[in-house]
Amino acid sequence: MKLFITQLGRIVALVFLAGLASALLVRFSPGSLVDERELDPRMSQQTLAALRAKRAGENSLRSGFVQYLRGAVRGDLGESTSRNAPIADLLTQNAPATLRRLAIGLVGAWIGGLGMAILVARFRRSRIMESTTSVAAGVLLSLPAAILAYFCLTAGVAVEVVLILVLVPRVFRFTRNLLVQAYGSSHVDMARARGISETRILFGHVCRDAAPQLVALIAASLSMAVGAIIPIEAICDAAGLGRLAWQAAMSRDLPLLVNLTMLIALATTAAMAIAELTLLGRGESNS
Amino acid sequence: MKPARLVAIVFLTFVGISALVPRLWTPDSYETQLREAPDAPPSARFPLGTDALGRDRMARLLYGTRVSLTLAPAAALLSCIVAALVGGLAGLAGGWTERIVLAGLDLFMSLPWLFLLLTVRATLPLNVSALASLSITFALLGLLSWPASARVVRAAIHGLRDSDFMLQARASGVTPWRLIWRQLIPNVMPVLLAQFWIAVPVFILAEATLGMLGLGVSEPLPSWGSLLRELEGGNLRSQPWMAAPAVLLAAVVGCFQLILPREDYSI
Repeated sequence: MKLFITQLGRIVALVFLAGLASALLVRFSPGSLVDERELDPRMSQQTLAALRAKRAGENSLRSGFVQYLRGAVRGDLGESTSRNAPIADLLTQNAPATLRRLAIGLVGAWIGGLGMAILVARFRRSRIMESTTSVAAGVLLSLPAAILAYFCLTAGVAVEVVLILVLVPRVFRFTRNLLVQAYGSSHVDMARARGISETRILFGHVCRDAAPQLVALIAASLSMAVGAIIPIEAICDAAGLGRLAWQAAMSRDLPLLVNLTMLIALATTAAMAIAELTLLGRGESNS
Repeated sequence: MKPARLVAIVFLTFVGISALVPRLWTPDSYETQLREAPDAPPSARFPLGTDALGRDRMARLLYGTRVSLTLAPAAALLSCIVAALVGGLAGLAGGWTERIVLAGLDLFMSLPWLFLLLTVRATLPLNVSALASLSITFALLGLLSWPASARVVRAAIHGLRDSDFMLQARASGVTPWRLIWRQLIPNVMPVLLAQFWIAVPVFILAEATLGMLGLGVSEPLPSWGSLLRELEGGNLRSQPWMAAPAVLLAAVVGCFQLILPREDYSI
């Protein structure tokens, strides 16, 4: 319970700090105190004064950020400047598609990457398998996600497949190294000498040895997937949080970017915390 | 040395020389506009054809290679310097300083790097001169990517701080500065070098992604990112030569992967 509360506190602190850091960034970004609407000659002095007062309130770190946090607690995340729409609505509209893509991408990447890693680790003396998978992973790692997205878009391939192609080589490289290391340990040799089947060795010894790092890697792969989904959705013009983040960046929609920063920080830190808690729980149950 | 590694080094040297002396391959500059030949197909005069503005694609590719291959190492160097300073401070000081630095690193690493780049780039002006956009892009790459390296440096220094030779040096009255200069830095240098070489291909790929998203180096200066952006307006089936920047990028990053120790190339 204490560990759970510590992790929860860590998540809240990190998300708060991420929000504060992005609010600071926005406040001190060039042009943050300028509103193009002020150049409109049709604006009356009263409207201009109201605009300036509103902007001053938003840009004030103390009142602006506190006001934002109060609103966030009530579900009001402010308004997007580029889309003139409530940010909460934009997030709820775009999140499901991205979450579905992330889920499919991560599951696909783990099945593909771990599956290949198991084969390579199991038959590690097969040079053909080692070199074929290494070359394939190397080629995929040498291309940015945006290029892969463009090629797949040209070929009419689904967005989820692009995400899988981006993640598979990374998952494969990490897991292959872990499994090869685990296969090389002396207790695996001993188990094999005692005639234990390869399937039992794989699940009972190798995967068990590598489990802590694999759990940590699952959390890390979420962060990789969130990073990769931005260029993929932007290039494929697929509606989702990634495309929203890109459009917010292109139109300098800073309130939307602050919210996305906090949302992404929440997702990644929560994943890391769950991984840590799982590892700690496993450690306690083993002892 | 393995033959694949040797081939990679030769290829990178060849690409590097071609990028440094583009006149070996083309007489034109990256901005020379030949108005009579827009969208020209490949020919002896223009091996990769011309773009919609009549600029030699080969010249733009070579100058773009020069930009990407010069500035990615520069950004990697900047990142390593910051990582050495921050990681070194945390590793040497220990206690609360170390904890605060680690919390800061956690904060940085709680956000995916590309998203962080995108957000920070968006807060800076987008309509700037080509040179300014170039400086901003690579400075951001260097200044936002040090946390992972800083963690590695901190761990290395932490290990060295309590080692026998450091204890002996301290016991024989060596001053702290001399200790850092003569004992710590030479021992941490291989770690920093490995971080540098890992960062170079990562930065090349990051610049390409930023360029494709329209947040990289702006026109008329070419870089791999801005050249790859042209793919969006073209048709690869009818103009396959437009894929040349992507092929060169993949080949160069692939060669870096072959040169680097395999265990170290982990993004």
